[in-house]
Amino acid sequence: MENKPNDFSLPLNRAEALERIGGDPEFLQELLGIYFEDFLLKAKQLRCAVSEKSFPAIQDLGHSLKGSSANLSLPGLQKAALNLEMAGREKDLQKAKDSLASLEKEFERLKKFLVQSPA
Amino acid sequence: MKPPATAKKKSPKKPVKVLIAEDDPVCSRILDKRLRQWGYQTLLAKNGSEAWRALQKPGQRVALLDWLMPKITGVELCRRIRQISKPKYTYIILLTAKNKPQDVIKGLQAGADDYMTKPVNFLELQARLQTGRRIIQLEDHLLETQKRLYELSMRDNLTALWNRAMILRFLEEELAQGAREKSPTSAIMLDVDELKMINDTYGHLVGDAVLRSVADSLTGNVRIYDKIGRYGGDEIFIVLPNCTLRSAQKIAERLRAACAKKKIRVAGGRISVTLSLGCASAEPKDRLSVDRLIWACDRALYQAKRWGRNRVAIPDHSPEFRKGTSHGKQAK
Repeated sequence: MENKPNDFSLPLNRAEALERIGGDPEFLQELLGIYFEDFLLKAKQLRCAVSEKSFPAIQDLGHSLKGSSANLSLPGLQKAALNLEMAGREKDLQKAKDSLASLEKEFERLKKFLVQSPA
Repeated sequence: MKPPATAKKKSPKKPVKVLIAEDDPVCSRILDKRLRQWGYQTLLAKNGSEAWRALQKPGQRVALLDWLMPKITGVELCRRIRQISKPKYTYIILLTAKNKPQDVIKGLQAGADDYMTKPVNFLELQARLQTGRRIIQLEDHLLETQKRLYELSMRDNLTALWNRAMILRFLEEELAQGAREKSPTSAIMLDVDELKMINDTYGHLVGDAVLRSVADSLTGNVRIYDKIGRYGGDEIFIVLPNCTLRSAQKIAERLRAACAKKKIRVAGGRISVTLSLGCASAEPKDRLSVDRLIWACDRALYQAKRWGRNRVAIPDHSPEFRKGTSHGKQAK
């Protein structure tokens, strides 16, 4: 059964993502590869930004990851990235730390999910 | 000097080049693939600075700009592109997660033509890009028409030679340039011998065909930088930059000989016509005015007519004049 856009039970809404990109599973794989590479770079930058309390950088990086997660229908990651963006805007360090932890947890969940249910 | 083509040539449609300015690599890749599938050429920019460099190029006509980008935002790019003078319009679609009415207004006021919220609905994007394509094609069509009308406004509509206003302008410019560069400027005034008789005998349509044929013959027998214009009636004026009177005489003689041996195909057979030509020259030290040079050419043309037509003459105040006129075998 397909999961709905706001269904957070699965880390990837595959049906919605495929619909957006024209139904090509190989292309989805390619995009997930691009996402992973980008995520690892931005997560590193986020860890630096949190330790340096650089709230504008937290907001920008959160915003950017929110967009790419939404494009690939990754609802858990999208929500965690949104929380990071808000934490940056609100200059809330604790919220930023919690959201970053949640973001990394969601990323691990996505990796496991992709191993368990490949395309 | 080729006359302008009167019919518009149909060229194969070139793919429209779309700039995708997007810092998110996933979104950029999806847009790139989709747009290529729809037949667009794409150019990718990872940040606002790269996008700004691409946008300033004249061939960049359609752009998809992300609002939030490193270095320069999409909204700032919209403002900048509307402030610079580009020969052709750039159609901009702003992409953003911002979806409040005040954001839409801000984006459009900055100079965006359209606005789409993310995640992008691709069917909608395809339709919106088609609107952009229609607008730039409409602009291309209008500019092409404007260019053709401009060219036509400079031409004589019977012969496709320069019209009187243009040939006089060229003469004025060449006299000024000749004075500046200390080089002589020459000119030829010519007319078709007995054109009135041709018109009376064969009708004006034949007379028109004769003028067109003479114009063609002249065009192929002058130097590439010489300018030929219809002065009025059957009188044609030629401006010869950086040309002495002696060289002008040689050119005029070449034109006379080419026309005399040409058979012009008209309804009911072939006819041949001859030309009378008057040459004059302005040496830089003379500082001759446009009117004075035309007057000198006119005087010479009158002499060529008086001495029996089908010949080249120069004004009687020049030393060469006393040596006689050129006329077929007598020209040497």
